[in-house]
Amino acid sequence: MPRCLQPETFMPAITRTPVTVLTGFLGSGKTTLLNHLLTSPHGKRIAVIENEYGEIGIDHDLVVNSDEEIFEMNNGCICCTVRGDLIRILGKLMKRKDAFDHILIETTGLADPGPVVQTFFMDEDMKAKLFVNAVVTLVDAKHFSQQLENSEEAKEQVAFADVVLLNKCDLVPTNELATIEKRIRGLNALTQIHRTTRSIIALDKIFDVGGFNLDRVMEMEPHFLENEPSHSVHDHDPCDDECTDPTHDHSHHDHHHDESITSVGIEADGDCDGRKLNAWISELLQIKGQDIFRMKGVFSVKNTKDRVIFQGVHMLLDAATGTAWGNAPRKNRLVFIGRNLDRAELNAGFHKCLI
Amino acid sequence: MPLKKLTTVTAADHVLDLAWSPDGSQLAVTPSTGEILVIDANGQILHELPEHGLSNGVGSWNGDQLTTCGADGKIRLHHLHASKDGASPPSAPREIPLGKTWIEHAKWSPDGIHLAVGVGKSLLILDAEGNKLSEFPDHKSTVCDFAWNPQNPREISTVCDGGAHMWRLGEEKSFGHFDWGGASLIVKWSPDGRWLVTGDQTPSVHVYDFTRQHPLHIQGYETKVKALSFNSTSTRLATSGGPMVTVWDCTGEAGPEGSVPKQIQGHAKDSLALDYHPSSDILASGGQDGLLILFKPETRTTAVGLEKLKSAVTSVAWDPTGIFLAAGTEDGSVHLFNYTLS
Repeated sequence: MPRCLQPETFMPAITRTPVTVLTGFLGSGKTTLLNHLLTSPHGKRIAVIENEYGEIGIDHDLVVNSDEEIFEMNNGCICCTVRGDLIRILGKLMKRKDAFDHILIETTGLADPGPVVQTFFMDEDMKAKLFVNAVVTLVDAKHFSQQLENSEEAKEQVAFADVVLLNKCDLVPTNELATIEKRIRGLNALTQIHRTTRSIIALDKIFDVGGFNLDRVMEMEPHFLENEPSHSVHDHDPCDDECTDPTHDHSHHDHHHDESITSVGIEADGDCDGRKLNAWISELLQIKGQDIFRMKGVFSVKNTKDRVIFQGVHMLLDAATGTAWGNAPRKNRLVFIGRNLDRAELNAGFHKCLI
Repeated sequence: MPLKKLTTVTAADHVLDLAWSPDGSQLAVTPSTGEILVIDANGQILHELPEHGLSNGVGSWNGDQLTTCGADGKIRLHHLHASKDGASPPSAPREIPLGKTWIEHAKWSPDGIHLAVGVGKSLLILDAEGNKLSEFPDHKSTVCDFAWNPQNPREISTVCDGGAHMWRLGEEKSFGHFDWGGASLIVKWSPDGRWLVTGDQTPSVHVYDFTRQHPLHIQGYETKVKALSFNSTSTRLATSGGPMVTVWDCTGEAGPEGSVPKQIQGHAKDSLALDYHPSSDILASGGQDGLLILFKPETRTTAVGLEKLKSAVTSVAWDPTGIFLAAGTEDGSVHLFNYTLS
């Protein structure tokens, strides 16, 4: 089995250039967003890597067209794929003396964000000079439900997203927007959702996200942990159709979507055994990493005064030490986003790490 | 010290490549951006050639003609001539636009008859006037690099995602394909045409022995292998891939297979550029640590000469006589040295 797991030594982001990845289906408003970002007064020097099939031209000097080229490594393991075109083009651009303040990468409508993100973790040259600020996914509010029914790519793009722009909101009634947001949260409980029209959004919501910044993992507020306790570690077996318990959230029963991509959140008080936790996460990502798109966790490890932070992308894993617990109640919180996640198995696996 | 500093020339940006003309009278300095300089061994600037948009590519010499290329999708053929009194005014270059795609390399065949240009997923073959003669298309990804067979000017190899392809002029299909299931980024032939070696996206090299039709995969490097250099007799292959420089024995029937390489220390950070002396076993190595080091791998595993430069050494090149050594750096400096064979 190829060994893909690479605990990262985190390099200070301050010396590296942020990269924002824009995903979304054809017609969702990516090019409009790009034009909005480029023409707004931000004072940044931005380079754009636009996919070969960009919808319309972008009026900007530093646009490079690129054919999305996937480099497979280690016998086709999806977790080891990177984008060869980005390595070549960004490798050249980053040698320029007049460096850029930010890189925007527009992907094609059907692109898998995984290889794009992995490029900046797996390629040593990219990792040394660049870091991923965020995956931003545009969703066409009017057509999203239909796209979800017909496309795994649409689900994966939402599942990977740090930020979802629910765009074209002017074309959809408000109550439908709430339903769409719920479906988005069902796929990805960690993402920030912003409702937009014509891709208009405050610049800091795109340029300053820190989606892969371990410090910000501590700030994560998974929405199902707050709003849907039935999805936490205190989870119970799924309700049957006759359940009338008013403490259970039955709103999801309104729709019978069979989503293979979901989020699983786990929250537990107390301390973990650090060695058991390491062994569990390592094994889990080795075995299930192809199906786990994103993972984030803040842990309380016995005999450790500081928070321990993990985040993963497929089989890649970052770990770091966070702030001290001090007098705050020690607890553990982790979220998996992926395909065919076994909630009970994940819960059981984590519980074995608790002391 | 075997190196005596002659002078320093400043280019506009990070030095991507240094290439001496075949007669050693001119050195082409290609920075990442800005004008491409042509200087002599004393550092006198003979020509300043126009840049190629967002990023220059790496061109090559054909006699006193220098071909340049870059992100503007163009190649330019510059006829240059250096006299004792300095440069003659160059005639206007012949400019050949080849589309929107970045051109990262343009390389002349050893006999100077054909120019190979990587354009996206194709390799174009042009004649001396820049007319398209043929195209080797349909690579799995953009052609990352290519190299002419030094012993057969009608054969050229390309590398991309999917390994190395072998092409022969006049034939439409590749006559060899070494696919190891991954991507190769750089490629080099040994001067005797026996060995083809690739540096890969993974920290490894692939070596193909054309004598035995035998592929070999060498792993264990710390980083991607960014530089490859054969000595003039094709008996040694130097590879970077971390701070250590690894030199493989290419003699005997099996070459590197089963052999223990020489591992040479001296850099504190990655070695980025390697070039064997044209007539001895001296190896020049430039590093991320700003060190230009001369090694003598046959007899010593430590430096025999060392110069500390102000920024990372990104390119090194001996002139054809082996008297001069040029080192280009990340900050755009080109340092010229005189080498005395001890």
